[in-house]
Amino acid sequence: MQRKSGPDGALPPGSITFSDMSWNRTGSWRYLKPKFVRKFSPCSESCPAGNDVEGFLFLAGEGRYEEALAKILQESPFPGVCGRVCCHPCESACNRRISDDAVSIQGIERFVSQFEPSRPPQPGEPREEKVAVVGSGPAGLSCAYHLRRLGYSVTVFEKEDVLGGMLCLGIPRYRLPRRVLNRDIDRILALGIGLETGRRVGKDMSWDELLAGRDAVFLAIGAHAHVGLKIEGESCQGIMPGTGFLKKVNLGLPAALGRRVAVIGGGNTAMDCARVALRLGSRPVVVYRRTREEMPAIEAEVQEALEEGIEFEWLTSPVRALVDDGRVAGLQCTRNRLADPDDSGRRRPEPVEASEFVLDADTVITAVGEAVDLAVLPHGLKVEKGVVWIDSWGRTSMERIWAGGDSGPDQRMVVHAIGAGKKAALSIHATLRGNDIEGIAEPLRIGSSGSFSMERYLQGEQGGAVPVREVVRPEQINLDYFEHVPRIVQPRRAPSDRVQGFEEVNGGYDKNDADLEAKRCFHCGTCDLCGNCWRFCPDLCIRSGDVPGMNLLDDFHCKGCGICAEECPRSAIVMEREL
Amino acid sequence: MNPTMDPAKELMSPGHLACAGCGAAPAMRWALEALGPRTIVVMPACCWSIICGPYPHSALRVPTFHTAFETGAVTAAGIRASLDMQGLQDINVMVWAGDGGTFDIGFQALSAAAERNDDIIFVCYDNEAYMNTGIQRSSATPAGAWTTTTPGGKIRPKKNLVEIMAAHRIPYAATASIAFPDDFISKMTKAKGIKGTRFFHVLATCPTGWRIPSSHTVKLARLAVYSRAFPLYEVEDGERYTITVHPRDLPLRDYLEPQGRFRGLTKDQIEGLQEEVDRTWNRLTRLAGWSS
Ligand SMILES: Cc1ncc(C[n+]2csc(CCOP(=O)(O)OP(=O)(O)O)c2C)c(N)n1
Ligand SMILES: [Mg+2]
Repeated sequence: MQRKSGPDGALPPGSITFSDMSWNRTGSWRYLKPKFVRKFSPCSESCPAGNDVEGFLFLAGEGRYEEALAKILQESPFPGVCGRVCCHPCESACNRRISDDAVSIQGIERFVSQFEPSRPPQPGEPREEKVAVVGSGPAGLSCAYHLRRLGYSVTVFEKEDVLGGMLCLGIPRYRLPRRVLNRDIDRILALGIGLETGRRVGKDMSWDELLAGRDAVFLAIGAHAHVGLKIEGESCQGIMPGTGFLKKVNLGLPAALGRRVAVIGGGNTAMDCARVALRLGSRPVVVYRRTREEMPAIEAEVQEALEEGIEFEWLTSPVRALVDDGRVAGLQCTRNRLADPDDSGRRRPEPVEASEFVLDADTVITAVGEAVDLAVLPHGLKVEKGVVWIDSWGRTSMERIWAGGDSGPDQRMVVHAIGAGKKAALSIHATLRGNDIEGIAEPLRIGSSGSFSMERYLQGEQGGAVPVREVVRPEQINLDYFEHVPRIVQPRRAPSDRVQGFEEVNGGYDKNDADLEAKRCFHCGTCDLCGNCWRFCPDLCIRSGDVPGMNLLDDFHCKGCGICAEECPRSAIVMEREL
Repeated sequence: MNPTMDPAKELMSPGHLACAGCGAAPAMRWALEALGPRTIVVMPACCWSIICGPYPHSALRVPTFHTAFETGAVTAAGIRASLDMQGLQDINVMVWAGDGGTFDIGFQALSAAAERNDDIIFVCYDNEAYMNTGIQRSSATPAGAWTTTTPGGKIRPKKNLVEIMAAHRIPYAATASIAFPDDFISKMTKAKGIKGTRFFHVLATCPTGWRIPSSHTVKLARLAVYSRAFPLYEVEDGERYTITVHPRDLPLRDYLEPQGRFRGLTKDQIEGLQEEVDRTWNRLTRLAGWSS
C-alpha cells in the first residue's frame, strides 16, 4: 500500500514510510510448503457400497438435504433401506469414537432419504449391450442400477412375484416399512429396467436361454436353501426354517405358530423371527450356543429384542427334538461353555457334561444360516465352500457370468450385497468395453478396503484440494477443536406399544436432531472452511479460494512454518518438502 | 470465527521479518483487527521493531511510532495528550512492547501511566525473554527455563504483572493467548470501548527461543492455558476477576516436556514447578470467586 507524504509538506519526509512489506519475498526462506489436500475419511473407506459418507454428512449439516441424498445415490440406490437396516461399518470406523461416540451416520442417511434428490439418477448414454440380472435383492438391483447409469439395457429376473429379495421377504416391516423399500426400488426402476418376475432361471428357464443374445449376466440369487439343525426328530411338524417363516409373514400368509416358540440361532434372522413371533402372539425364546457377545446380530437388534421382553438361552444348543404324535413337543438342550477360538475367531462352544434339560416348545424356528441352492446354478459353474466362486471383481469361472451377494462369498449383509452389485457393474462395463478393470478402478479406490467411487468414474475428479490416497487416522485429528458432544439417540416407540403390531420401531431424527448430529462429523481429511489455517497464519498467507471447500496459499510470502497443518482440525493440510 | 479470509483487508502486510512460526505476528494481526484502522501503534525496542520492516517500509498499515526501549507507555501518553488536544478522541493509542519493555526496563513508564490512568492500551506480547538480542532472561522468564543468561535454568518464578497492574486500579487488565483467537479478539474489542489504561498480557510463543518446531507455536500456547501455566482471565477495575477459558486437567509436564528450553529439568524440579502453578491457580480461582 503506497502512502503519500503530507501534500503541504507539513511532515518531514523522513518520518513517513512509503510502502508496506508485501514486496519482500519471504517465501524464499521456506523449505516445506503446505498443500491443501483431501484425504479419505475412515467411514467412507469402510462403506462396502463406497458411499462418500463425509461428503453427505457435510451437505446434511448445511441443511442441503436434497444434495446429500443425491450424493448417496451416486454410490447406492438404497438410502431408505440402509438408513434403517444397514450394519453400518462406517460407524464402527468413525474417528469421533476417540472423543465420545461415533456419528449416527445411519440416522442421517435415514433422515435425508425422505427428500427428493437435487439431481435424480439418470440412465447413461444408451449402449448396444444387454445384461441380465438374476435376482432382485440388494445385490441384483444395485448392479442393475449402476449398469443403467452406465448406459446398458438391463433386464432383472426374479423368481418371486415381488421385488427386493430378502429386503422384502426376509426383513420384517417394523424394521423396514414397505413404503420405504418401494420408494428405493421405484427410483431404481425409473431408470428403465426390464422385469421378468415369477420366472426362475435354472428351472422355468434355462441358463442357455438367458445367455442367448445377452452380453453379460449378473447372478445374485441369494442363499435360500434351508440349513437344518441336524438333530434327531428335526423333520417333525412344528419345526420350520426361519427364512420360510419370515417370508410367509411378509407375504401375509398364515404362519401356524404355537404358544411357545424356540428360535435357534444368534444372527439377524433369529432376532427377526423371535420378534415377529412375539408380535403374532407367541412367547419366543432365543436359543444360542455362545454368549451375547458372540452373537452376529446387529447389536441394536439384540437390544430391542431384550427390551421387548424376549427370553434368551445363551450357551445352549439343541440336541434332540421331542416328538409327540408327529409334532414337536419340546427341545432337549445342552448347556455349553466357551473353549478356544475357532476359524471364525469366535470362541467355540463345547457341551457341558450332564447339563441336558428340556426346553418347553411347541414350535421351533431354525435360523442357523442359509445355503446357496446349488441345484439351480448354471452347469459347470465353479463353486467353493458352498457358494459361487468369484474373483475380486465378481467374475465367475464362466465367461459372461458375474456373481455376488449372498450367493457369493461376501458377508451376508445388505450393504455388502449393494457393494457387490456395484462392483460387478463396473467390472461388466470394463469387460464389455475391452478395458482392464484394475486400470479403471485404481483411481476410483477409497482407501484400501476395495470400495470405490462411482461418482468419480461418472463425473471425474472434482476440482479443489488435491486428493491424496490416504485414510485419516484418529491420531491425525486435532481434538482440541472438538467439544464433547454426545450422540443423539433416535427416538424409538415404547416396547409395550411396538409389540402390538408391525409399525416401525425407530422413529428417526427430526430436522433439529439431524442437524445437530450431522454437525458432530469431524470431516476427517476434508476442508470445511473452518478458517483455522487463515486465522493462525503469522504471515497472512491464506485466503479463500474460488472453489468452495478450498483455500489458497500465498506462495510468495509463506515461510513454511507449518502452523496451518498442525492446527488443521481434520488433517486436510500436509507439509511437503520443496527443492 | 468468521472467515472472510482476505489478507488484503488486514491492517498488517505479509513480507514482514518475523521468524517462521512467530507467535507475536498473529497477536498483532488480531489486535489490529479488533481495534480497526484508527489506531496508532507505539513500539519500544523489541522483536517487533524488526518484524515491522526497515525504513521506508512498514508491515503495519496504521501509523507506527518507534521509540526507545524504556519509553513505550510515556510516548503513548504524549501521543494521547496530543490527540485529545486535537479532539481526536476516537483514535486508539496502543503500545506494543515485549516482556523486557514491559516487565523490566519499561515498567517505570508503564506504572506511571497506569497511575495517571492515561487513556492508552498497553499490550505486552510476552515471549518470556529478550528474544531480539538473543534470548536473555527477563523477569517474565518462567522458573526452570534455559536462556543464554540462565544456562542452568532460571531460579525465580515469573513476575505476576497482571496483579501488579490490577493493583494500580486501572479499569481493565487481561491475559490473552495466541491459541485462543476468539477470547483475544473479544477482550480487545471490550477494551476498545473502555477509557483509561488498559493492559494486556499476551503469551506469544517464540519457537526460536523456546526451542520448539515452528509448527508447534499455537499448540504450545494452548498447552500453557490448558495446563494452567498461563490462565486466561480479566480484571476489571482492579477487583473483578473473571476466568475466561476453562483449563483442562493437564499436568504441567505436558506443557514443559515438548520445549527444548525446559530440557534437563529433573522430576523433582517439575514437581516443584507444578506446585507453584497450583498455588497461583488456586489464588486466581479464589480471586475469581470459583473457590473460597
Ligand atoms: C536502553 C536499551 N537497552 C538495550 C537495548 C537493546 N535491545 C533491543 S531489543 C532488546 C530486547 C527486547 O526484549 P523484549 O522487550 O522482551 O522484546 P523481544 O525482543 O523479546 O520481542 C534489547 C535488550 C535497547 N534497544 N535499548
Ligand atoms: Mg521478549
